[in-house]
Amino acid sequence: MRKGIIYIALFSFFALVSFTSTEPLFHVPSGWPKPSYDFSKNTLSQDKINIGRALFYSPILSKDNTISCASCHLSFTGFAHTDHDLSHGIDGKIGKRNAPALMNLAWGKTFMWDGRINHLDMQALAPISDSNEMNENIAHVVEKLNQSNLFKNLFYSAYRDSLITGERTLKCITQFMLTLVSANSKYDQVMRHEDTFSSQEKNGYLLFQKNCASCHTEPLFTNNQFANNGLQQDTVLLDNGRYAITHIASDSLTFKVPTLRNIEFTYPYMHDGRFKKLSQVLNHYTSIPQHASTLDSQLQKPIQLSANDKVDVISFLLTLTDKEFLYHPKFQYPKKLFSQSPNGL
Amino acid sequence: MRFILCFLIGCMPLCSVAQNDISISFHHQIHHQKLILNERSRISPQSDSVIITTLKYYISSIQLLWQGKTVFRESNSHHLLNIEESKSCTFPLHTPKNIHFDQMEFCVGIDSISNVSGALGGDLDPTLGMYWTWQSGYINFKLEGIHPKCPSRKNEFQFHIGGYQMPYYPLQEIKLSIPNKKQIDIYLQLEKLMANLDFKTQKSIMIPGKEAMDFSKRFTQMFSTAQ
Repeated sequence: MRKGIIYIALFSFFALVSFTSTEPLFHVPSGWPKPSYDFSKNTLSQDKINIGRALFYSPILSKDNTISCASCHLSFTGFAHTDHDLSHGIDGKIGKRNAPALMNLAWGKTFMWDGRINHLDMQALAPISDSNEMNENIAHVVEKLNQSNLFKNLFYSAYRDSLITGERTLKCITQFMLTLVSANSKYDQVMRHEDTFSSQEKNGYLLFQKNCASCHTEPLFTNNQFANNGLQQDTVLLDNGRYAITHIASDSLTFKVPTLRNIEFTYPYMHDGRFKKLSQVLNHYTSIPQHASTLDSQLQKPIQLSANDKVDVISFLLTLTDKEFLYHPKFQYPKKLFSQSPNGL
Repeated sequence: MRFILCFLIGCMPLCSVAQNDISISFHHQIHHQKLILNERSRISPQSDSVIITTLKYYISSIQLLWQGKTVFRESNSHHLLNIEESKSCTFPLHTPKNIHFDQMEFCVGIDSISNVSGALGGDLDPTLGMYWTWQSGYINFKLEGIHPKCPSRKNEFQFHIGGYQMPYYPLQEIKLSIPNKKQIDIYLQLEKLMANLDFKTQKSIMIPGKEAMDFSKRFTQMFSTAQ
């Protein structure tokens, strides 16, 4: 009897240890708002996340099997396309906007610089179909996937059914994107009292809170809204921003407020990648011409920062770098999975 | 064990009586003649001939009514009708037995909630060519063809009607009196949709907006139960 109890106790102990040591597939960092994504409609599983990761890294999504999501969204740089103001897609064609960094997408409400996509599940359709990006269509992608042994096996292990549909394909890509959570930068550690800011970073943080945080709201460093930040319209691109989608005059020249997390690596900055350096970004914000009719109300009064202030703000922005996120193997090219069928083709 | 078995067997007829299928068929005509894709038809005796190459649309939120009150509401009610696939134009309604109805109500298009609910399956799967990719949203109704007056390449016209945001929410509700029968036939008379369309100026609608909204108002005129 006593032996039995000891066994039960030991078993429960190990069960508890093994249970608590498994990393959850997704968790909301403490103090963060509730995600916008409805997980009840797309329950996360490791198998589906793996499929999503394979799809993210496979050029099978493009018409000629040359371009993958990762062609323009590189894990080591916060899934931005570092050094490219505009990205090049199929046949070397150049797109119209800067490829945004991808992180904390579960908290996003709308996607793309102008918010034209209303749900994370539907986001992948845009680059897949755009003639400058992958120039493919989802029906044909699904046809190709249904002919791939690798993907048929992967879908079978996730769904107990090897039939690949558009819905399943998109939801798996979403699952991988949902796992891209960046919440362990120095800033986060300071907020959790595990680290402290230098005096320069601290001053930068105070200046940031005073001048920038109304749009780049903590902890996501975006308010998920759209704003005209006073940039002159590029005379070649003639991009009207969100106006092209809503046809509402007040949306003219407004763009999504991007997150600033991992900003150290997501250059060049702005919707058309016009600024290579953070100092150029800050110089822009302190010298906005006041004539733009839809200029954001928060910017109507010019931001004033001294040269030293700017250095301090930048030192604070560098605390938003999250090396764990940038270098985590689970976000990288699935070498092992693709060892038998290169790139999942 | 035997009790459970008896209970289950006892229940079986209950299950089968509880449900009764009604079959709905949509027929597509021009002036009461069957519409044949890629063949010439006339919208009116005076007009030029028109060729329809594609007709695909969503029927959703089907309800049956008796004396003005809803007696049946189909769940997950979304049907993609593609006249290229005649099977898609006939489908069953799983209704309770002995149901009495004298009216049917349905929508042409997809409601705004489904439009913002992410990836959906079945007839709503985005691989079916009825989902926009450059911006989110379903195409409610797709009509494509050729008209000699169209000032476009190959005289082609395309009407892709959709949108889910006010004030341009072109979901149209249709109410028809129907006989209380197991087979319900609904006729879409395309000449009513296309009457007074000026193909010289109206050859393409591809985005949500006022034009799509105005076009969708024509849907309310084109359905009937009379052959």
